[in-house]
Amino acid sequence: MISRDFNNWQLAEAFKAEMLPAVELAALQTRLETDPVFATEFHECVRMITALNESGKQKQFRNMLVNIHHDQTEKSTKPNWKVRTIPLRTHYLRTGAVAAGIALLTTLSTFWIVTHNEKKRSSQYSLLKRELETIKRSQSAIIRNINTPQNTTPVAPANFSGTGFAISNDGYFVTNYHVTEGADSVYIQNKEGEYFKAHLVTFDKTSDVAILKVQQSNFRFSKGEVPYTLAANKKTLGSKVFTLGYPQDEIVYNEGYISSKNGFLGDSMQYRLEIPAVPGQSGAPVVDNSGNVIGLITGKESESSGTTYAVSTKAIHRLIANSDLKLKLPKANKLSKLNREQQVEKLELYTYSVKVYKR
Amino acid sequence: MYQPLYTEQQLLAGLAKGERMATDVVYRQHIKIVGPWILQNGGSESDVGDVFQEAMVVLYEKAQQEDFRLSCKIGTYLFAVCKYIWYKKLQGAQKQPGFLPDNAGNDEGRDWAYEDDVNAYKEREAHYQNLDIALDHLGEPCRSLLKAFYHNDKSMQEIAAEFGYTNPDNAKTQKYKCLNRLRKIFYGAQTKMR
Repeated sequence: MISRDFNNWQLAEAFKAEMLPAVELAALQTRLETDPVFATEFHECVRMITALNESGKQKQFRNMLVNIHHDQTEKSTKPNWKVRTIPLRTHYLRTGAVAAGIALLTTLSTFWIVTHNEKKRSSQYSLLKRELETIKRSQSAIIRNINTPQNTTPVAPANFSGTGFAISNDGYFVTNYHVTEGADSVYIQNKEGEYFKAHLVTFDKTSDVAILKVQQSNFRFSKGEVPYTLAANKKTLGSKVFTLGYPQDEIVYNEGYISSKNGFLGDSMQYRLEIPAVPGQSGAPVVDNSGNVIGLITGKESESSGTTYAVSTKAIHRLIANSDLKLKLPKANKLSKLNREQQVEKLELYTYSVKVYKR
Repeated sequence: MYQPLYTEQQLLAGLAKGERMATDVVYRQHIKIVGPWILQNGGSESDVGDVFQEAMVVLYEKAQQEDFRLSCKIGTYLFAVCKYIWYKKLQGAQKQPGFLPDNAGNDEGRDWAYEDDVNAYKEREAHYQNLDIALDHLGEPCRSLLKAFYHNDKSMQEIAAEFGYTNPDNAKTQKYKCLNRLRKIFYGAQTKMR
């Protein structure tokens, strides 16, 4: 059986190649005519071999074509025929327009949905953030006072804000050191909302005072020299004081009195004040009735009580004396003869919000 | 580059035998004409390669026929076939009536030149594809053996060495066994399909 099958193949191959001797060819013809089963089998064999042969040859031819094509494109990196290509035919315009329309619609609706959801989420988020920020700010101020001054613990990365005030009209200003501590960049913002970039000039960590300078070369805080002076000595107990600060974006006025000549744990560089203060007011100038700046707000005892601590301006004087800054402190007090409203109006021009960015 | 001059008859004869030289000449000469046309009608560089190579195969297949006679120049034939193939391709790509290129003559009901050749080629192509599928179902070593013999044109000696048969006759016996199985798969599948 098997050998007969093989015979058929051999016969078919020979027949295909026309290698069959005349006698065998004649025998094959008669057999094909008389034996129909053999005939179908034989024809199948022939067809199979033919197909295999031809498809094989065709494959070789195709490979050769691919080779030629490859050679040709390789020889000249760009084909040697040049044409102007028109990628989008007018014929495709209608289809293209419909597709583009659908794409646009999809894009817009997706965009709308996404932004809509995003808005909701981000408003919740910013609320949370603000809370977090205020808590951190108040904490930092408190920690600063409760801990030893050398050990001001750096707070977790957050954006801080404080208050600062000018000490010379060409850009020097003072704020608390703890406001600027670990800052990547510091900006000050006036009550008009304008930002100016500033850099740290010198600081005293112990007394929590920092002097900064606005980087802009021709910067002026306002027209005319700084109208207030920095008190060289400590004011007496019970003096009425007021302060201007930025616990929010709006400038805030507060007033109170000196409740103790020494500050937290008897710190002689500090005052103890009875004045409301909230986070963000760190560095706010404390001014007496005659328009002398006597200190800057630095911290408070606890969140609920009105007990606040302020660094005496003595610390600023000492800091400037110890550094080699060529800094002309204001000498004339132009606020002394003014009433409180006018004082505040003048002071406002030299009081800035300090924005601190940390990584 | 030296390029011998051939008559069209010589070229066709060489092409039919699958000679590299003749094929190369024909390829080079005519892709210069067909390529730009396809590019102008919304095709890409790779489309040019695909379509032109297919047309070359159509010509090759036609040249295999015993009664083969080309009634026109090779370039004319190839261009006509390429146009038809490209037209069909576009039609398949977008399920709406394909546009007719400006220089393709009148539109509705136009008899494409050599349409029959292309259709015959497509039919044969389908047949070969079935054969390839059957080959793939064959399993080793039959698949590789038959491919080596028919597709890669290897002699029985080479195959015997490659597949580890002691002599060419053993390899030949194995080949017949494989052919038997292939026949069963191929025609079995064919009858099933009907």
